[in-house]
Amino acid sequence: MPTDLTFEQVVRDHQEMVFRTLLRLTGSREHLDDLAQDVFLRLYRALPSFRGDALITTYLYRIAVNIAQDEWKRRRRDRDTHVSLSDDTSGWEDRLAHPDRNAEQQLEEHEFQQAVEEQLQRLSQVERTILVLYHQEERTYEQIAYALNMPIGTVRTHLHRGRKKLREGLQQRQTQERRAACTTNH
Amino acid sequence: MHDEPLTPGNLSQSATEHVDYLDQRIVRALETAPEPQIPAGFAARVASQLSARRPVSLTPTHYGQKAMLVGTVVTLAALLVLALNFTALHSTSHATFGLLESLLSAQFLALAVWFSLWRHSLR
Repeated sequence: MPTDLTFEQVVRDHQEMVFRTLLRLTGSREHLDDLAQDVFLRLYRALPSFRGDALITTYLYRIAVNIAQDEWKRRRRDRDTHVSLSDDTSGWEDRLAHPDRNAEQQLEEHEFQQAVEEQLQRLSQVERTILVLYHQEERTYEQIAYALNMPIGTVRTHLHRGRKKLREGLQQRQTQERRAACTTNH
Repeated sequence: MHDEPLTPGNLSQSATEHVDYLDQRIVRALETAPEPQIPAGFAARVASQLSARRPVSLTPTHYGQKAMLVGTVVTLAALLVLALNFTALHSTSHATFGLLESLLSAQFLALAVWFSLWRHSLR
C-alpha cells in the first residue's frame, strides 16, 4: 500500500532520533523497541489531525516524551525507579571510547559519562527531558516548549535548574570520592 | 549555542574556573548522543503493524468549506432580494432595512475574506 510505504520511509528517516531520545530519557534499553514502535503508531494515528503547524520531528519529540513519561509511571508502579548503571540493559556509554586518547583518559571520561547519566536519572522528569532535548537533540527553546506544551520561560528555568542540580550532584559525588580516597590512604 | 556557562557570580576565581571546567565537561557529556541498536527491519515491522490495524481514513470531509460556501450564497441572495425591494419599502422601515443590509454586507465580506484566506493557506 502506498500509504504504508510512505510511512515506512517516515519511520526509517526518524527511527534513530526516536531510539536515541527514548534511550536517554528512560536510561535503559529495556523495552526500547516496543516504546519506539508505540511512538510511531501514535504518530500514525495522529496523522489525520496533524495540521502541519509544526515539523514532524518536533511532533515526534512530543510523542516520544509522552511515551517516556508513561514508561516512568509504569516503572514507578513496578517500584523499579532506580536505574542501575551496572544493569546490562543500560550502559550505552560503554561504546563511547575515543581512539585518540590514552587508556587513563578514556577511563576517566567513561566514569564521568556514567556519573552524568546517573545524575541525569536523578533529576525530575521535566528537567531530564529538557536537558536531553536541548543538549543532545539540539532543539531550540521554542521547539522544546512546543514538545512539552509549556511556556518558553518555564523551559529556560527548568534547563537552568536541571544543569545546576546536575553540577551540584557531580560536585557532591567528587567530594565523596575524594573523602573515600583519603580514608583508604590513611 | 548550547554551551552557555552556568557560573554563579559569587565564587572565587579558582572555584569559578573549576565550575567552568565542570560545566564544559557536563555539556560535552550531555551532547554525547547514545548510539542505540535499531533492530533490522524495524521500519517494515512498524508498517506491517499498520496493515493489521483498522485503516485510517485520510479522505478530507470539507464540512466547514461547504458550510462556508452555502453561507456565502445565502447571504448574497438575501442582499440581492433586499436591494431589489429596497425602493418599494415604506419610509418608516427604511432605517431597519438599511441596518439589515449593512449587517448582511459585512457578513458577506467576512465570509469572502475567510474563504480567500482558507484557499491561500492550502497553497
